[in-house]
Amino acid sequence: MNTLFALATGIMFGMGIFQLLRRDLIKSAMGFYILFTSINFLFLAVGAYDGIIAPYVDANNQTSAQPSDPLVQALMLTAIVISFGSYALLLGLIAVSSRRFRTVDSDHVNQLKG
Amino acid sequence: MTNALLLAPIFIPLGGAALGILLARNRTYQQAIGIVCSIGAWIGSIALLIGNLDGSIFTYNLGGWAPPYGIVLVADLLASLFAVMATTVMAAGMLYAVGCRDKSVSSPAFMPLFLCMAAGLNGVLYTGDIFTMFVFIELMVISSVILVAISDNRLGMEAAIKYLFISSMGTLFLLTGIAALYATFGTLNMADIARLLASGERPVLAQAAAVMLMCAFLLKSAVFPFHFWQPDFHTTAPTPVGAMLSSIIVKVGIYGLIRMITLMFTAEAALIGNVLVILGIIGIFFGSLGALRTYDAKRLLAYSTFGQVGFILVGIGWGSPAALAAALVYAVNHSFIKSSMLMITGVISSRTMTKTARLTELGGVGKTMPWVGGLYLVGGLALAGVPPLNGFISKVTLVQSGIEAQEWLTLGLVVAAGALTLLYITRTWQLIFLQDPDEALKLKPYGDSVLAPSLLIALCVTLGVFASPLISLALRAVEQMGDPTLYIRAVLGG
Repeated sequence: MNTLFALATGIMFGMGIFQLLRRDLIKSAMGFYILFTSINFLFLAVGAYDGIIAPYVDANNQTSAQPSDPLVQALMLTAIVISFGSYALLLGLIAVSSRRFRTVDSDHVNQLKG
Repeated sequence: MTNALLLAPIFIPLGGAALGILLARNRTYQQAIGIVCSIGAWIGSIALLIGNLDGSIFTYNLGGWAPPYGIVLVADLLASLFAVMATTVMAAGMLYAVGCRDKSVSSPAFMPLFLCMAAGLNGVLYTGDIFTMFVFIELMVISSVILVAISDNRLGMEAAIKYLFISSMGTLFLLTGIAALYATFGTLNMADIARLLASGERPVLAQAAAVMLMCAFLLKSAVFPFHFWQPDFHTTAPTPVGAMLSSIIVKVGIYGLIRMITLMFTAEAALIGNVLVILGIIGIFFGSLGALRTYDAKRLLAYSTFGQVGFILVGIGWGSPAALAAALVYAVNHSFIKSSMLMITGVISSRTMTKTARLTELGGVGKTMPWVGGLYLVGGLALAGVPPLNGFISKVTLVQSGIEAQEWLTLGLVVAAGALTLLYITRTWQLIFLQDPDEALKLKPYGDSVLAPSLLIALCVTLGVFASPLISLALRAVEQMGDPTLYIRAVLGG
């Protein structure tokens, strides 16, 4: 299971970095969100010991596997809310600036110099 | 020792922000709330610092959950010193915002966001839990991004997008580091992590986590490899916000680095210190040379922040108690100087028709404002480190600690770079205040209020003349930091 998590995190991280480095601001904003999702995966992997068993559900210990850590899932909820908020803000800023610059190509949004 | 006063510097501004949103229609009420809340936070942080003076460390368990399971707020001397610095500058910034004529300041969102930024900053300083630190950093980042995006300067939007992307990379580093720490130790409490790091052997992931945290903090203070966003972001911000960003928000990274090497990663402190010295020296030269060739008075000060942060990093990097104390003194003094200088530049540029800070258009603008010119000169001399002012005190303590530590090469570079500061300050002062203005130059009859920068400059002079309380306070803070078991025992008990 750990290999699967490692693979998923790695692939999503790579996708996120690739997408983030695109010129199109909207695409790179998507890359930003994918990167955060990959970090959430990393957190999930940190908290899942052997087997994905929900915490508190298995009250009678019917399976031998150890339930996963609930704390990281709580942390992830916070991280998801924060990354979602930043993503929304970023898209809003891009929407306003695309109206002003008439483009979302980051090469042309370059009036700041010096 | 449990102390509920710890809630005041964080939750008074946060409550004020909520109230400010409810009263969005009435600007007078919003301003009153802003002033009252920032002064409330200021008084709270000062009371905590006074309580800390006898060496006690205050904690507060949020929701009554005992650490290491719950979130804990901690006030030791280091956190209290930084928080007093932060709330003082924030209160001055709020005062400036009330007397500011920018359009963005009268936006109904301005005061709540400004208070959110203050709450986030105080939260970062007081929290004893590393994930809560991430949450507060994000609160600070998001509110400052919105504040810059609504700036009067049209380029604010572009700078905000740039910064949001880059700061998210910092957040990513921080989160990865937190995940690595949690995977290794199964705890998020900084005192608990420090206890486990001090006792057991060092797992591989812990060192990776140290690198990740370091990258995140360096990015927050805009140190050399992660610096390129800083001048844009700090220049295009509305004046009261820019003054906060360039003086106290960059200190968050400094605070995090000090916490890292004195509390958690004490065994790696020497290695981290060497890296910080190199990065600091690069920052000093890069910032000073950048400030020399810039075309904008605000941008010059933003570049100068690079240089000054470099001085602080060198102090942290040398790592001896005297050098750490010098870094603390430097950080506090630089906050007051830089915020007042940015506010004075804002006052000057608010008198021009286009509200610009470009040096080509500011030539001779200051001739009609001798009072502001005097303030700018005093602030500039403080920044350059001329004797009776507080900048001199911070430079002297830093150089003394360098001599004690016998770091001759870096010391020589630091002293040489200090002279560059004088060069760029005199250049702008001559340009703005001594040059004869153009015949066609038209100025607005009224600009922003000079009350807030005057108070801060007065504070700079006071801290220069009566320097010993701050230095002895910094030395005691370093003494307390030198023994991490004090912090650990105060938080975890036993």
